[in-house]
Amino acid sequence: MNNEFEKYGLSEEELFARIDNRSASSEKITAPRYSYWKSVFRVFFRKKINYFILGLLAVVLLLTYVYPLFVNYDPYANLTEEAMKHLNPSKAIDAMGFSLHSILGTGAQGQSTFDAIWFGSRISVSLALVCAAINMTLGVAVGCLWGFVKKIDMFMIEAYNIIANVPMVLLISVMVMIFSATFWSMVLAMCLTEWLFIAFFIRTQVIIIRDREYNLASKCLGTPVSRILTRNVLPFMTSVIVTYLAAEIPSYISYEVFLSYIGMGLTEDSLGKIIQAAQSAMITPGWEFEFWAPVAVSAIITVVLYVAGQNLGDAADPRTHM
Amino acid sequence: MTKYVIRRLIHGLISVAIVVAIVMILIYGLMDRQLIFAKDPTFSKIGNNKKVLYMYDRWEDYGYLHYVPYADYLQKLAESGTIDEDTRSRAVLLGKTQAQDSDLTKEYIEKFTEKYAKEGYTVERLDAVTVGGGKIADGGQPALFAYKDIPLLSRLGNYFSQLVSVDNIHYAKNVEGKRGYSFTWHDPAKGGKKFSPALMGNGTKHRYLLFFDGRFPYMHQNLIKIQLGKSYSVNQGIDVADTMIEPQGGYVKSNITYPSGYREVSADDLHSATYVAGSRKSSRLLRARFTDDYTNTATVKNQKSRMGFSFVNGILSSILAYLIAVPAAILMARKKDKLADKIGTIYIVVIISVPSLAYIFLVRAIGGALGMPTTFDLDKATMAMYVLPIISLALPGIGGIMRWLRRYMIDQMNMDYVKFARSEGLSESEIYRKHILKNASIPIIQGIPGTILAALVGAIITERCYVVPGTGGMLVEALDKHDNSVVVGVVLFYAIISVISYILGDVLMATVDPRISFAEKDR
Repeated sequence: MNNEFEKYGLSEEELFARIDNRSASSEKITAPRYSYWKSVFRVFFRKKINYFILGLLAVVLLLTYVYPLFVNYDPYANLTEEAMKHLNPSKAIDAMGFSLHSILGTGAQGQSTFDAIWFGSRISVSLALVCAAINMTLGVAVGCLWGFVKKIDMFMIEAYNIIANVPMVLLISVMVMIFSATFWSMVLAMCLTEWLFIAFFIRTQVIIIRDREYNLASKCLGTPVSRILTRNVLPFMTSVIVTYLAAEIPSYISYEVFLSYIGMGLTEDSLGKIIQAAQSAMITPGWEFEFWAPVAVSAIITVVLYVAGQNLGDAADPRTHM
Repeated sequence: MTKYVIRRLIHGLISVAIVVAIVMILIYGLMDRQLIFAKDPTFSKIGNNKKVLYMYDRWEDYGYLHYVPYADYLQKLAESGTIDEDTRSRAVLLGKTQAQDSDLTKEYIEKFTEKYAKEGYTVERLDAVTVGGGKIADGGQPALFAYKDIPLLSRLGNYFSQLVSVDNIHYAKNVEGKRGYSFTWHDPAKGGKKFSPALMGNGTKHRYLLFFDGRFPYMHQNLIKIQLGKSYSVNQGIDVADTMIEPQGGYVKSNITYPSGYREVSADDLHSATYVAGSRKSSRLLRARFTDDYTNTATVKNQKSRMGFSFVNGILSSILAYLIAVPAAILMARKKDKLADKIGTIYIVVIISVPSLAYIFLVRAIGGALGMPTTFDLDKATMAMYVLPIISLALPGIGGIMRWLRRYMIDQMNMDYVKFARSEGLSESEIYRKHILKNASIPIIQGIPGTILAALVGAIITERCYVVPGTGGMLVEALDKHDNSVVVGVVLFYAIISVISYILGDVLMATVDPRISFAEKDR
């Protein structure tokens, strides 16, 4: 035998290698490469309107977080100059010259409304983002367990039914009264029960997919619960979670505005506080713009955040990736 | 079904009780008590010991604790005849410090301390605050008092035991004539000649226990009263439930014949007469009008109660929301991805994301520009003043119903029964109206009671914006004024409404959809 191979100038080992029966490679499925996040962005940018919305979102975020870094804003700089107070945009442009500071007029203390809005928006948007991050993390984690572990379901449902009846206004105002109305006490107040509602929503979603065949199979194969949750259940819910988040972030901004309006909001100059302060200007002829400018801007911020989130949620659904 | 509803109701009541307990812990336990003085002008004017006494006095009024000053204790002893007036007036004098008390005072202080320490009170003595030369400073008189925080459980127990009170003939102390109930076919408050049945009581709190009059709902009763808690600063001395249901606005005067036969044009409502001990003795006017001590009457007013306004606004806006949203959602589902669907979607997005404050004020501004009244005026009530609040309240409801009904209808559109109906030759509008809508509306129907509830509770901004004298602002007002019992009462009210609306929603759903059953045997 050896002679036969020698005429090629190679030994047997060099020509042939023994391969064991590898179970792993037989399991390998040859399919087109699929990357989840790549597909998400492909689907997201398929709609041309999303470029526009993303651009708007970028502008809003830049104005909220970057603009205040470069501008020296002092709300009380013009406190003694009566001529600078309550100017509508055209008068403000006459008085200050055309600049970003003057395009939305001035407020009751002679401050630039444009600057006030974006400094306020930094507080409001941060509040919304922090609350959403805390509530979502807690809500999704608890919701997954709640849906999966049947033992705690009865207990949690009862707790949910009780807490759902406590008015949010009451809870928040008591929190605000106990800890004074600072940013972090507001975060605490808004996170105290909100996660439970998210958890309830997630629980329902988990129950829907918990008993599907592939999860049953996983269970039979001895996969631990934590792995089933993170690998089988959570990816399935990405789109649901993103969609929920999209509605959640604007709702915190709205809530902050609402609380300020009824006099229980932050002491800092957030968007809601600015709107509340401009209430009296709204009923004064000629000063209405002071009220409508922050209201319109907060509406734009919330709509942009909501639409961007919704469309991202649509794109995050694997069923749209085909 | 009945069994199921009763079980749900009991569950609901337990959770309501727990909610009330949580709220009590929040406001009586966690909130800083000092806060109630933040806006109190008296508080900043007084000083020294007087300030401390004032604080405890207020705290008792707001329901935080039991507070007994030493003088009150002696007063009570004197009233019950244990000590005479002379002893009382000498024993009440406190020395500047404990060492300077007279022997008599010392004796009674010891009794006082012993009595209240046994009951779990903390007894506190404040020595006189003196300025130079041994003179007592302004408000620096010595003081002795006992106080005890009300524990949560007894507070809760008291609250629920007083929640419902049934009027009985042993209420009044010294009543003239025989105690008892009497029934008449001819209501004396209406002149005693017209046919109008009424149940009256002697010895009860209310004179009229059951009667008819011209106001909605025409038959009224005073036999069972719900007491949600007495208000301290929102509507002083009046129960929350009464604050919600008492009429508002201007007086309605009419010719009234008082029990004594005396006639006068007045707004007094004789049906509301309650017993006030000794009132006829003290007032000549009341002696002329009444023949017994049932003299405290409410007045007839021409406007709805707080609850009335909120209910009218809430229900009309819910009806409006369904009238608009249901056809709109059908149109959106039928023209999916066409122009109508896109316009509807934009509306939904705006309503969900924009702060409600923004569109409520927008409606108000547009309505005001069109000449609609933008504030509620109780003196000149017109139908037009309801228009803007109702529209403002309906806007979010319309968005919500449209969003979900469209979703459910689109889900139903791909069902087999729809394909079958189409192959049977039914017209598209017939399929949508008779089949898809019927199935898609089941979850919507479940939400109807909830929608009305949301209109009631969520009216805070709307009622503030249009100055509607409704219930929406009561919670906020009470929180603002630290009126703790009103907060508890309003929360209880909302919690009960929400429990009931959930149950009603499920019952309604089971009634319209025969496939859904809550009876346990059908398995």
